[in-house]
Amino acid sequence: MYTQFFGNFILNKGVITPEQLIDAISYQKATHLKLGTLAIHYGYMTASEVESIHIMQTHVDKRFGELAIEQGYLTPEQVNELLTSQKPNYLLFGQILIDRKYITNAQFEELLAEYQAQFKIQDIDFIHATQDKYSDLITSFYNFPGTEEQKEKFVNYLNLFFSNLLRFIGEDFTPLHAAAFPEYPINFCVSQDITGSFSATTALDMNHATAIAFASRYADESFEEFDEYVSASIEDFLNLHNGLFTVNMSNDFDIELSLNPPEIKQERILTYPSMYFIPIIFPFGTMNLIFTIELT
Amino acid sequence: MLLENAKVLISDDSILARKQLKDLLFDLGCTNVFEANNGQVAIDTYMSEKPNLVFLDIVMPVKDGIKVTKEIIEFDSDAKIVIVSSVGTQKHLREALEAGACEFIQKPLNLKNLKKIVESMI
Repeated sequence: MYTQFFGNFILNKGVITPEQLIDAISYQKATHLKLGTLAIHYGYMTASEVESIHIMQTHVDKRFGELAIEQGYLTPEQVNELLTSQKPNYLLFGQILIDRKYITNAQFEELLAEYQAQFKIQDIDFIHATQDKYSDLITSFYNFPGTEEQKEKFVNYLNLFFSNLLRFIGEDFTPLHAAAFPEYPINFCVSQDITGSFSATTALDMNHATAIAFASRYADESFEEFDEYVSASIEDFLNLHNGLFTVNMSNDFDIELSLNPPEIKQERILTYPSMYFIPIIFPFGTMNLIFTIELT
Repeated sequence: MLLENAKVLISDDSILARKQLKDLLFDLGCTNVFEANNGQVAIDTYMSEKPNLVFLDIVMPVKDGIKVTKEIIEFDSDAKIVIVSSVGTQKHLREALEAGACEFIQKPLNLKNLKKIVESMI
């Protein structure tokens, strides 16, 4: 999840545009991490040292590791360690931004240091990342109104939602910040009401092309046109996610909730007194997670 | 009874969920499958077809899976009902079993788990 939020972090720094972010997300699957990116991450080399090796590589046909050892920037042991280390995926994301010339090595070095410091990310987090750590990350990105108890529920809800996206859809997404609007014009919108100890409306909204791609991944099918299976896939995903949320609420907080069947919204504009939405960018399009917050 | 001779009813409002369960059942050799898209259709189909095994979702329009379970059991106390739901809280589990369901499967489905349950029931 640190990878997904790294995109949000960089975007909010104003260093890249949303178009560049989408472009980088779509390259994620086909790219491998380079030694220079890893060396910066582990603090073994500075951005300018990496830059100088890259320049050398335009003159001599030698590998990055070889040249870095020759220049005394890295020891053979360090090269070996970098090649075998656990690699957090947001490094890959940063590298794509560098390769696409959206940011420089020096900017990456700075952003990386800031991101890791702000969210207290140590390497151990990637290997043993726990749901608690993700909760901390989500809490720092999303500041909702309400009591501590209410906030905890939103964080739980979002934590599970992003985990379910990772589990059922894929890693190549970036969640943006939440926005509050009294009215929201919808495209294709599936909603589900949660009732019981507290009540909320949850919804997913996207255009048809995004729905086709999202549904294809979820159902593991190759849908080509927008039909009832595509629609059912989106409903099914929302229902599955909300179902797992009610299970968590019951097991962890003794809160009993019920779900209404998911429905496709017919009205063109959603209106709720307290409605938030979070855009989530995938390479195939943007989906909005919409939810109401009951503050009574 | 051989799986290929068994009649199975799937009741879920999601056409995708029905298709996925039906595909898995086909893989196991069950091809005699009936579908219902809401609770009332499930009850009507049970009465007309008397299937050997029923899969019911909980969250469904018209009548939810727990109510459907109660009505089917009233009609046929030997009915074999499996609840398949994403809402697998202890409360729902208890309600389903009290209503007369034999098993509860938490979504998402997995073939191994489903195979074990189907083979033990038919």
